[in-house]
Amino acid sequence: MSATAERALPGPFVAAFVYALRVCVPPKRAALLALPCVGALLFGLLAHTVPEPTPAFRFNAIGGALFGLILPFACLVVGDAVLGAEVRAGTFGLTWLSPVRFSTIVLARWSAGWLIASGALVPAMGLSALIAGVPEAVGPIALATLAGTAAYLALFVLIGAAFRRAAWWSLGVVLLGERLLGGVLPGIAQFSPQWLATMVYAGLGPSAGELERSGMPTGWAAVGRLALLTVVFLLLAVWRIRRLRLAGTVE
Amino acid sequence: MRHVPGAPLSPYDPAFAPDATVVVDGASVWFGPNVALNEVSCSFGPGVTGLLGPNGAGKTTLMRTICGMLPLGAGTVRVGGLDPRTAREAQRALALVPEEDAAPGSLSARQLVRYTAALHGVRDRDAPERALATVDLLEVADRPIGGFSKGMRQRTRVAAALVSDPTILVLDEPLNGADPVQRVALIELFDRLGDEGRTVIVSSHVLHEVERLARRQIVLVRGRLAAAGDHHAIRSAIADRPRRVLVRASDPRRLAAALVGVEAVSGVGVDGGDVVVSSLRANDLARALPGLARREGIRLLEVRPLDDSLESAFREVVR
Repeated sequence: MSATAERALPGPFVAAFVYALRVCVPPKRAALLALPCVGALLFGLLAHTVPEPTPAFRFNAIGGALFGLILPFACLVVGDAVLGAEVRAGTFGLTWLSPVRFSTIVLARWSAGWLIASGALVPAMGLSALIAGVPEAVGPIALATLAGTAAYLALFVLIGAAFRRAAWWSLGVVLLGERLLGGVLPGIAQFSPQWLATMVYAGLGPSAGELERSGMPTGWAAVGRLALLTVVFLLLAVWRIRRLRLAGTVE
Repeated sequence: MRHVPGAPLSPYDPAFAPDATVVVDGASVWFGPNVALNEVSCSFGPGVTGLLGPNGAGKTTLMRTICGMLPLGAGTVRVGGLDPRTAREAQRALALVPEEDAAPGSLSARQLVRYTAALHGVRDRDAPERALATVDLLEVADRPIGGFSKGMRQRTRVAAALVSDPTILVLDEPLNGADPVQRVALIELFDRLGDEGRTVIVSSHVLHEVERLARRQIVLVRGRLAAAGDHHAIRSAIADRPRRVLVRASDPRRLAAALVGVEAVSGVGVDGGDVVVSSLRANDLARALPGLARREGIRLLEVRPLDDSLESAFREVVR
């Protein structure tokens, strides 16, 4: 009998959490997740070419790419994997068909996704700041990334519970909703994880005030807004997962 | 007599089982404009019940509805008195082995079965090992499911379903991909589970397979309940359906003329050298034809049913 067989069975939350860690980021998806991380490092290098007087200002110049491209893309890769991809593949029924509460399932999936995404992105973003020659930006950008990934993962879990083609919907929300509309309409940016993550850095980062948008919370207030958004997205995901149609791929 | 949704379930209707643990009352499910289930009313009790029907009949939809995975457009489903769609406690009694070959390939069989056990709050740490042993997978339990054959993946899903010791087991085409030895073992296992007093619902589109599995059968065709009862009732319902038979004989015109007088024959046509016979009572026709040919001195060269697929048989049953 193997060592695994002799271990006591974990509780439902731990089981669902470990399952998501094991199953939801297979090697191909892990490779896809590595791309934005490498991209973050390259942007750190690219900052040296920006014609700004100080490293902090140069790093600010690439902030738009880090928060508007690297952060959402990495979160999309993981966020789709923890729920949407499983629903599409027909394997989510294994988890759904259990007496475990939907809130536990959603929380476990989100936690696992957050751990994976932030585990990959926070070091990459921090290294990017170091490469750009702004060590004092490491803390603020790590916090902004941590809060941003939390909200994004919750958003993508919600989209995974709501739409069959979750990856496309997620991409649409990021590109059309956040980048295009959020760029010109402050009302949309107020609920956008990428804009709010940028505002976290704008409030706490060195000489990052130029990234601020009028009418938006910055620093810890933006962290609070992201935490609130995370909770709202997760609650909506729990509500939506109750109404999931698991028709499978057969009929 | 047709059951009116919401009305008390008749103990004399073969669609309803005594001591029912699963009750389906007027269940309808739509996928866009397509009706997958159309006012289906039936119930399932302890023992093995076969769910029979051609592909696309609504078997999978009914099974997923019983498990709460699909919302109903109309009607109700109760599992142990609870709505499986909303009451998570109902899932404690339920287990499904889905037809689709979806399984997380990176997990080992043991990891998958332990995962299911953990979700169901199974306290007995040996339960996953017993479930794996039941389907004869203990030897390969640490290998990734992705490297398994279809039959092994199916048995892994059966083990995952059994680990929570469910009282209601829903098995969607569980013999798919299993080799003959495994089929016999699985049929014996389902039999044993039924004998233990569990409600076992097994679907198949293969009539003789379900006959081996279940004494009681429910037939679905095009989303509607077509027939219910023991396998003799289902067999006779299928055998007595209108059937077209092609007969090639040494003298087709004379044979056609002689067949007109046979009571079991409802129509005769001659197409070149072939005689196409329609009959409402195929069994009677099969008995009468050789004697008739002998008396008339006609040699029968070929007798072949034109629409003997199970699907066509089911379609006639539902008319």
